[in-house]
Order: sequence, then structure tokens, then C-alpha cells
Amino acid sequence: MSKIHIDDETLRPAPRRSNDRVEEIGLGVLGVVLLVGGWEYAAYAGWLNPVIVSSPSAIAQAFARQWQSGDLMKDLGISLAEFAIGFSLSLVVGLALGVAMGMSRWVEYAADPFIWFLYASPLIAFYPLIIVWLGFGSTTVIALTFLLTFVTIAVNTMAGVRSVDPQLIRAVRAFGGSRLDVVAKVVLPASVPLVLAGVRIGLGRALIGVILGEMFSSNGGLGYHISFYGAHLKTADLFVPLTTVVVIGVVMTRICAVFERRFLAWRN
Amino acid sequence: MSQLALDRLHLAYENQATGASFLALSEVSFKVERGEFVTIVGPSGCGKSTLLMLIAALLKPTSGALSLNDRPISQPGSDRALVFQDFALLPWRTVLANVELGLELKGVPKDKRREAARRYVQMVGLRAFENSFPHQLSGGMRQRVGIARALSVEPEVLLMDEPFGALDAQIRQVMASELLRIWERDRKTILFVTHDIDEAVYLADRIIVMSASPGRIVKEIKVDFPRPRELAIRNTPEFTLYRKQIWDLLEEQIRNSGSWEQGDVEPAVAS
Amino acid sequence: MSSLPSQAEARLAPRAAPRAFQRALQPWMRAIVGVGGVLVFLVVWQIVGSQDLIRSDLISYPTEVLRSLYAMVASGELWANLSVTLQEFVLGFFPAIVLGVALGLAFALSRRLLYLFDPLFAALYTAPMIAFVPVLVVWFGVGLVSKAVMVFLSAFIPIVINTRTGVEEVPEAPIRALKAFGASRWQIIAKGLLPGALPAIMAGLRLAVGRSIVSLVAAEMYVSVRGIGRLVQVYSTSDRAAEIFVLVLVISSLGFLGVVLIRRIEAYVAPWSAAR
Ligand SMILES: Nc1ncnc2c1ncn2[C@@H]1O[C@H](COP(=O)(O)OP(=O)(O)OP(=O)(O)O)[C@@H](O)[C@H]1O
Ligand SMILES: [Mg+2]
Repeated sequence: MSKIHIDDETLRPAPRRSNDRVEEIGLGVLGVVLLVGGWEYAAYAGWLNPVIVSSPSAIAQAFARQWQSGDLMKDLGISLAEFAIGFSLSLVVGLALGVAMGMSRWVEYAADPFIWFLYASPLIAFYPLIIVWLGFGSTTVIALTFLLTFVTIAVNTMAGVRSVDPQLIRAVRAFGGSRLDVVAKVVLPASVPLVLAGVRIGLGRALIGVILGEMFSSNGGLGYHISFYGAHLKTADLFVPLTTVVVIGVVMTRICAVFERRFLAWRN
Repeated sequence: MSQLALDRLHLAYENQATGASFLALSEVSFKVERGEFVTIVGPSGCGKSTLLMLIAALLKPTSGALSLNDRPISQPGSDRALVFQDFALLPWRTVLANVELGLELKGVPKDKRREAARRYVQMVGLRAFENSFPHQLSGGMRQRVGIARALSVEPEVLLMDEPFGALDAQIRQVMASELLRIWERDRKTILFVTHDIDEAVYLADRIIVMSASPGRIVKEIKVDFPRPRELAIRNTPEFTLYRKQIWDLLEEQIRNSGSWEQGDVEPAVAS
Repeated sequence: MSSLPSQAEARLAPRAAPRAFQRALQPWMRAIVGVGGVLVFLVVWQIVGSQDLIRSDLISYPTEVLRSLYAMVASGELWANLSVTLQEFVLGFFPAIVLGVALGLAFALSRRLLYLFDPLFAALYTAPMIAFVPVLVVWFGVGLVSKAVMVFLSAFIPIVINTRTGVEEVPEAPIRALKAFGASRWQIIAKGLLPGALPAIMAGLRLAVGRSIVSLVAAEMYVSVRGIGRLVQVYSTSDRAAEIFVLVLVISSLGFLGVVLIRRIEAYVAPWSAAR
């Protein structure tokens, strides 16, 4: 660990500085290179069992193999399709339910216990039941994705609708605005931040849902092959869909961050 | 020999992200005698807090020198204690634990510092709140915790940055005469920043009037009222003369700086 | 998300003033409607299941679930497996707290260190941890170790990230006060940055409990000798809906208890933050 750095001006941990960009990217790349290089060297030098632990070069070969055979693209297609369907369903249901709960006390009171149960419990335990109900395959994967995702979106949407400052509503009404004006000019724009946060968290949970569903109850997709190669001790092959999943997660989060920054410019 | 000496201090704040720099203090020189009570007035944003932070060594001057008892000031230390304008209490500590902080950092053993802290908590009238957290207190109570914390280390120089700023007018007068009473007992050196002209005159041996940003010293005014002082001196004709003199100086500063017309700074003398 | 959104009582629009008896009932409404909804659900489930209106082996019904719970407790089957799961959890979680807080602090204090590891941690933070289950099983075997490592990884990353942001967001004023009274660097850390970051660290722990229980159960379901996840797998292959509901309840209670416990600890170690 390098020397503790507490900045003398601010007496706090060193802040990010704008001219750090180069150092940040450089060190970030170095970190990845060190990991990959160290792993490769350890495998090359025979410190690690190459069959079990594998190595970056073996993984690269596996990647080329799966790419050329079209396996990777096929898996990606299946997973993304399941993801898109499961997430869209969650978005529609989650938003509708969230707005209803935010605006009507009765809906909220009635839905509350169920929502909090679904929100707080590790839903993956439901997966055997879903398989029992829906059988193996994409339907189960989509159902699990939906179950994992819509609650998050609903809860955040409700919180967003609720977070609206009543003073602002009063202001719009005082200037003669109608109920519709209140919803259009205050409630919707003001709830955007929390709704977007819900969508971001929901995307992550949907990805978990897809991978989980595929690992346990399907015969195609990235999750299925992660599980399959694992069971057959093909570590290098396993890392191809695994890395792909990690990359999807990172890309999704980045896109979300860009969106949130766009929408939330006014919040500085 | 002066106890505290500031020699041609300049301070520029650097913005690390943009590289821009902002001159907050320019050519500030003055001396303070041991046991003297000095008040500092000046328009908002003129650098009063900055000046106290320099003396506390929380900032380093861009140029110029500071010395205490003829030794240059380089490190924060318990020979000076600062009462912060924004209280700067540790939100995770109770009132008592906050007051203990200075003694704790000096290495005073637990039971001794606890006892001392209790005494000062009592002195500022917060006995009943010693186990409360800062967020449970009013602004004025928090400020008194800050004052107790500073007094508890028994510093040679007490630096007070608008210590009564969060108090209402009446409590403020009572606290001011209470402070004088404490001060007359042991005659510690005090540097006291305030927006309140009456308070500045009532407390001070000497008033330092600063210019609008970048802060310079416009004038030093000796105050000749005998001590101990009664609150009633505020109604004497001499007091009115002092008040008028400072008022005029400050008004001129605010007009010259133009900031009042631009509307981005409150007039410092409003209180 | 680290915590559930607070139940702010900001209503959307002014409503007509409720009538007197309605107003008297108001504080109870949430409970009445909530409990009522759950009861209706349970009764419908009981009737549909016990009358076999839909195949009851697939949906079971409340009294059968209770009977299964009793049977699983009485036979000792539940505890035999639960104890293994708890053991794996403890073995992974406590090291994750210690190392996670230490590394999070180091990241906050050293920009270089942060830049070096940031891309790796950001990737792991957003990746679904369960995807790592198979590779951990290959690397660490089908037994207890691979599960403990899974728990460790799932908990470690949110703890590191929360500790880091918590330390970075400690307000400046108290740190300035520490410095003004002569605190050294280590004292600033011990008396300022760590206590200031404690609420964020505890929020990280709450997040970590949820994540690591999910990962743990998934890992046990993938392959294991003993554990709650193993039981889920066993009963699902024999289409035993009642036992699966019991296990769902057990796992949910685990997560719930974990969060409640951490909130308790939080109220004790960080009492100043509870009210904010
Ligand atoms: N950290 C900083 N970075 C950049 N500029 C600063 C910083 N702190 C203060 N300033 C600027 O320096 C000037 C002096 O600030 P300072 O807080 O010392 O004023 P002040 O006289 O105490 O004001 P007030 O009476 O309102 O408390 C102000 O114009 C302020 O904007
Ligand atoms: Mg100030």
C-alpha cells in the first residue's frame, strides 16, 4: 500500500483532479495488464494447474474457437433476447405498479406486504417452483428475470412519485394549474431521478435473472454454457461466456450512467 | 514584545481543477499583544475566516510570515484554539466527547479530560445535553459546544470566528459579557471576528477593520473604555462615535467593492 | 440498492379532508389493508390448493407448508443443512468485512491505488456474481471452501466500494477541526474518516448480506453435499412444492434476519446516523 495521502489543502483524502485523466487510464490499463500478465506467467511457469485454472492465452484460443463456430453469437443472441423480453415486461409492469402505489394509498397498502417480501427475499429460491410450473427453457428464464426485476422498478418508481416536494405542487396549483398540469409539470419530471435509479438497478437484476435461469433451467445461452463448461471442467471455455457476461454488465452500467447524466443535468 | 505578529500576509486560493487562483488576503500585517482582546470586522467574504485559519495553520500563506512568541507558526497546535464559524463538530460524537477532543489529541488521560470537559460543558450551560449528538442541538447550542471545546485546551491565543453568529440578539449580549468575564479572569489573548459592530466595540481593546475582498487592513481603532465594562456603555455618546466611525468605514468598503450593487453579497453590517 | 426507500408521507395532491371516523382509523389503515390483503391471499391459496382446483403438488397450500416445516424441523433435516449454510456464510463474510473495509479505506486515501484497481472492481461490482459459481467450484471443489469464497467475493466488493465512497464523503468541517486541534494523519483516519464513514460501511454490509446469501444458495444449488440450496435442489427434482415453499421462507428469513441484525448493530455503533 502506498503512503497514506491526505491532501493538505482540504485535509481529506486526495480529491480527483481534472488533469488526472491520463494517470487514471494509464494505471487502470496497467492493473488489467498486471492481472492478465501475472496469471499467464503463473500458468506458464507451472505454479498453477493449467487444466483447472487455465490461462489468458488458453481463454483467448477458446474465444476464437467459440467465435468461429458461431456458438458465442448464438448464446449471446439467446441471452439478449431473453433479457430484452424479461426486462421490457418488468419495465411496463414495474412502472405502472409503482405509479399506482405512489398515487393511491389503497393500492400501496394492499401491495405493500407482497412487494416487501419479494423485494427482500432471495428470489432465486423460487426458481424450482417456476420450473415446476413452466418447465425447462426460455419461458422459465424470462419469468425468473421478470420476478427479479419488476419489484425493484416498482419500488423505486413509487419512491420517486412520493419524493415530489408538496410545496412545488402547491406552487403549480397556486398559479392555476390543473391536476394534469401537476402530474405533467411536477410529478413526472421530479420522479425521473429515482425511476432511473430503479431502471439501473433493475438492469443489473435482470442480468442476474437471465444468467441464473439459464444456468439451472435451459439448454442454451451464456448462463447455460457457463454451467455446462464448468460441469465438464473446461475452464478456458467457461471463461468465454463468463467474460462476455461481465462485459455486458459493464457496458449496460456505462450506458445507464450516460443517460442519467443527460436527464439529471438540472440536479447538478 | 508582541505575542502574535503577522507580516505582509498574502493568501491566494488555488482551484486545483481549473488552475485558477483567487486572492483572498493582501498585505495583511498587524501585531497582537499578550492578553489583548482584538476584534476584526469587515464585509462578508473579505477573508476574515481565512485570516484565522492562517493563524491556526490550517492554511499556509502564499507569501508573508506569521509568528507566535517570536517563533514562526508552521503547525496547528494547542497553543491556539479556533472556534469555527460553521461549528465543525464531529457529528458522530456526543457533546461531551466533542469537547474532549482537543485534550484527547494532546494526550490527556481519559478521566482527567472527561472531568475538564464536564467543567466547560457546564460553563456554556449545556450540562443537560452532554450526551446529545450535534444534530439534536440548535445552532446556538452547537456554537457553544465549539466554544467549550476551544476553551478546554486552555490555549494561549483564542481565535473566535463569529462565535455568536447563530445566537439571537439577547443571548448574544449575555454571552458577550460572559466571555468578557472569563477573559478578565485569566486574560488570554483573543482574536474575535464579528459582523456586529456594537459587539466589536463592546469587547475590544482594539478593532481591526478590513476592506472588501481581497482583504486588506483599512484601519486599526483603539477602544478606550475602562474595564470591567458594563453592557450599559453601549448607550454612551463615546460608544455612538465609535459605532459611527466603523459604520462609515464599512459602508465605504461595500460601496467601493460594488458587490452590493451586483447583488451577490449581503451587506456585512446588516446585523 | 442498499436500503429500502423511506416511506415519506408526502402526498401527491391535497385530498378532501377525511371524515371523522375515517380519520380515527387512519393510523390503522395501512395495517388493516395490508394484513387483510395477505389473509385473502392465504385463504384463496388454501382453498385452491387443498381442494385441488389446480394441481396441488405444484402449488401446495398453507397448512401443508406448515406441516412440512414441522416435519423438516422435527427430523433434524433442516438444521443439519442450515448449519452448513451458516458456517459457509460466516467463513466468507467476516474476512470480507475486515479486508473490504481496509481496502476501501486504502482506495479512498491513495488515488494511485484506486486507479490501478478501479476497472477491475467496477467490472466485478456490476457483474452477476452467480456467474462465477461454476469456476469457483472448479477451482475450490464442491465442498465448503468454494461456497465460502463465493460469499467472500459477493460481500467483499460492495463493502470495498461503500467504504471508499463513505470515506470520500466525510464532510470537511469535522476533519478541519481535528487538524486544528493537532491531530496526526492516523488520528484523522481513526477519529475522523472511519467513524464518519461508518453509516456508509453499515449500508454496504446490508447490501452485502443480501448479495452473498443469493450467491451462497445459488452455489449450493449448483453443486454441493449439504446446505439449504442442496435441499432446494433435492426437493425440486421430486416436485415437492410444500418443502420448497418452506425453504423459500427459510432463505428469506435468513436475509431478513441478517439485515435486522445489521440495523441493530448500526443503531448501537453509529447512533448519530440513525436519526438522519
Ligand atoms: N476553499 C476556497 N477556495 C476558493 N476560494 C475560497 C475558499 N474559501 C474561501 N474562499 C474565498 O475567499 C474569500 C474569503 O473567504 P472567507 O471565508 O475568509 O470570508 P469571510 O470574511 O470569513 O466571510 P464571512 O463574513 O461571510 O464569513 C471569499 O471571497 C471566498 O469566496
Ligand atoms: Mg467567515
